[in-house]
Amino acid sequence: SEMSADMLPGPYPRTPEERAAAAKKYNMRVEDYQPYPDDGMGYGDYPMLPDKSHYERDPWYQWDQPDMRHNWGEPMHWQFDMYTRNRADTSPTVVPWHTMSKHFFIFLGTMLVMFGLGTIYPSYMPVGPKQYPFDDLYLEKGGDPSKKPPPVIHYEI
Amino acid sequence: MASVPPPSAARLYRANRFVSLPAELDPDTYDTSPEKRRAEAERLAIRSRLKRQYLLQLNNPSPPAVIEDPALLRWAYAKSQNVYPTFRPTPKTSFLGAAYALGPLVFWIFVLKADRDCKEKRIQEGKYKRPFSVFF
Repeated sequence: SEMSADMLPGPYPRTPEERAAAAKKYNMRVEDYQPYPDDGMGYGDYPMLPDKSHYERDPWYQWDQPDMRHNWGEPMHWQFDMYTRNRADTSPTVVPWHTMSKHFFIFLGTMLVMFGLGTIYPSYMPVGPKQYPFDDLYLEKGGDPSKKPPPVIHYEI
Repeated sequence: MASVPPPSAARLYRANRFVSLPAELDPDTYDTSPEKRRAEAERLAIRSRLKRQYLLQLNNPSPPAVIEDPALLRWAYAKSQNVYPTFRPTPKTSFLGAAYALGPLVFWIFVLKADRDCKEKRIQEGKYKRPFSVFF
């Protein structure tokens, strides 16, 4: 691209003049500009913007790029490709997150525990072997028709 | 003895990195101080200048083929070419590098070796039935 080196991102700003120059470079106010903390992770002087997804941006405002809800020249979030409207959504929920996660995990945990207990200690109505007619299905099971089938008694008196 | 006031609705909501605070609970929404207005005016001024530049290029009778967005170029540069110059070996980055680069490698070495040793032991004891036989 034709951008000069002072328009491109650079190292972490150390002096207030560097901060002001970086804020001007990124089209931000000096008070708004907040770089990532300098712990060598490779961010440089890129601004740290609030972690809000594009779902939260005003749908009725006339954005320059309506599908991305982004304006020309506006600094993009470091992870903006995660926050597009096809992907992660950080819109505020009706129920707080900790309540939702508590409900979910308590329900899931209870169901898993009950299923586990039911597998280890199964309980069912007592059953006996099935009783078939016609001498325990002697002919159907391939018994010889010329021979007399063995007597089968299923009762006790 | 003064009693502690009940926690605010924003505190009860506990916004984290998955959900953000609703605008109704955010005290910043109800802030109408002159400082906030000045900040908003400055942001709007920056925004108007950028929009003017953009519209001049857009409504040009002979527009350029692609209207480059400097913010996008800066983002792409920062994520690809600005990482190596600004990287610095610190305890945190060294640990993360070892964890992500060597961790899976060493883990899978041990898992596969253990699996092969177990199979070898079963073959030696004669308990292993070989699959995919070409003889019947």
